[in-house]
Amino acid sequence: MIKKILIVDDSPVARRMLKSSIPQNRGYEIYEAVDGYDGISKYQEIKPDMIFMDLTMPNLDGYNAIAEIKKTAPEAVIVVMTADIQQKSISRVIELGAFLVLKKPPRTKIVEDVLIKVEDSLKSRSGGKQ
Amino acid sequence: MKIECRPAFSDEEKEILQEIMNIAFGNATADLAELIDIYVELNAPSIQVLGIGDLPDYLIRRMKLHTETSIVAQNFWGDFKGSSILVLPNRSGRSLIAILDDDEMNDFSMKPVAGQEKEVLMEVGNILIGACVGKVCELLNTFVTYTPPQVILRNSDEYSAFIESFDPSQTAIIMETVFRFQKIDINGLLLLITNQEAIEWLQKALHHFMEPYE
Amino acid sequence: MASESPASFYGTLRMIFAQIFDMVNVGIVILDKELKVYKWNRWMEIHSKISAQEIIGASVFDFFPNLKNPRFLRNVKSVLTFGNFAFFSQKLHKYIFPFKANNSLGTDFKHMRQSCTMGPLRDENNRIQYVYIMVQDVTDVAAYEQKLIEMSIKDGLTGVYNRGFLENRLAEDFERHKRYMRPLSIIMQDIDFFKRINDTYSHPCGDYVLKNFASLIVSTIRKVDIFARYGGEEFCCVLPETGIESAKKLAEHLRKKIENEIFRFNETEIKITISQGVAELKKETVSGEELLRRADDALYEAKETGRNKVVGK
Repeated sequence: MIKKILIVDDSPVARRMLKSSIPQNRGYEIYEAVDGYDGISKYQEIKPDMIFMDLTMPNLDGYNAIAEIKKTAPEAVIVVMTADIQQKSISRVIELGAFLVLKKPPRTKIVEDVLIKVEDSLKSRSGGKQ
Repeated sequence: MKIECRPAFSDEEKEILQEIMNIAFGNATADLAELIDIYVELNAPSIQVLGIGDLPDYLIRRMKLHTETSIVAQNFWGDFKGSSILVLPNRSGRSLIAILDDDEMNDFSMKPVAGQEKEVLMEVGNILIGACVGKVCELLNTFVTYTPPQVILRNSDEYSAFIESFDPSQTAIIMETVFRFQKIDINGLLLLITNQEAIEWLQKALHHFMEPYE
Repeated sequence: MASESPASFYGTLRMIFAQIFDMVNVGIVILDKELKVYKWNRWMEIHSKISAQEIIGASVFDFFPNLKNPRFLRNVKSVLTFGNFAFFSQKLHKYIFPFKANNSLGTDFKHMRQSCTMGPLRDENNRIQYVYIMVQDVTDVAAYEQKLIEMSIKDGLTGVYNRGFLENRLAEDFERHKRYMRPLSIIMQDIDFFKRINDTYSHPCGDYVLKNFASLIVSTIRKVDIFARYGGEEFCCVLPETGIESAKKLAEHLRKKIENEIFRFNETEIKITISQGVAELKKETVSGEELLRRADDALYEAKETGRNKVVGK
């Protein structure tokens, strides 16, 4: 079950757009981080069930943040949110261990679908392991 | 009464515009690479609001990015209205030929070098400007038409005419991004400048864009 | 008319637009996303000699394989993807569609010069569905332009280059040859006692001699050499990739040729001689002007020491 969601994006507007695209009646706890470093430390502190991660950010970009998080927590579920959906960029983040790539701007329907996919994956994972 | 009617562009509006530009330029990058084989990296854009009277100085300052610059300018109009300016280091026309990768460029050797560079600058400028402006328009649910691109050389009559063509009593929003052509490692600057008329429309369009997210 | 129903109003409008589409003096082509021809107006029919019926539905490349080039494809894609406009000016592209040119002003363009614009056409949902191409015949403009360029670089009487062109060209050649350390020479020429021809036989006769002298030189020197009228009866040859010895040899050859030539104006037979000064680009030469000056000094010396001779510096 998804309970805690972490949004990592330097743009307050982008975070706002994504937040409002996430269904509000399911009791998700939503946390925000403003760059890659902030994302890593919030991840360790909050241990969210999933992360929405922007790629182009100041200080530490999304690619590096994903790599860093995956190093200590290979099970982390990271959905990349980006406007640059070049095949090259997609393969790169998938290689780093991202769960999915979403094209910006977010759309409610698509975000909902992604949440379902993440749920399914978490379920099958816990079912498989325990 | 209407003398000082600079429509205030709030910080929030600036942030929305910033995110729209982020998305638009990201989309443009992807489409340029996958459909048109032009590989370019666009940095996160920055937004500035200034009086058009300050624009010439601003432009001159920004164009000093390179000691010698070539400028491609193009106007667009529609609901969204303004000028776009591409600033590239001088003589980059030659290197740009490499990214266009045309067989056709072979018969360029017949043409004088200056004409050839101009041709490439206009072509790349037109596509790059169109991609960025086009994507912003798509997000704001509108479309624009363009004047032919113009290559302007520093210290030319065209340059001064271009600088003077801005009405100093008005306000401009400058959207600026630094970009880099991957294969040839050339940096440039892309500026979109809206005029006053477009600002009011832009404010409405920005709020409309955010409506689904309220 | 006031009681016209909307349906018939739009019917009439459509009819009018269809007529204008075929009446305008501009070529209009509409392509779909697969680049098949969707519309082809009368102007295009006339100039391409391909009927709308024949081409509509076919890929534009079937009829115009020349369009299958990266530039055209790139521009079409940018129109379809971004709603871009693309501009093909005659100056840079000459033409998109190879049509026969209606030559005027004595030019002989093989193809009609075209100025073309390409842009998007959208459906009611603002989605781009088609690309239009508008083709304008600008052959006349191009012809004027060519004439103007010619007029600005050529001497009206003799048809060889003028002094302005010579000086620009020499400056360029100077830079290039100096940079790559390649030989470059020039010959300054002056027709001896030319004033006497004008005085003795009339100005038209003098003009005739100048013209024929110039064409004789042009027919003797290489294509890469630049021959220009420097002023009055003074001419100049710029000889790229040529050292002083070869330049002097050429000057001597020209001297003999002119000396042996008989210019016939009406019934009059006229003989002339020329004095020539030759100079070569040296390591220490700082400009094209200096080169000219040295050749001029040599020419002066040739004049002072007897005329009808070559002096090299």
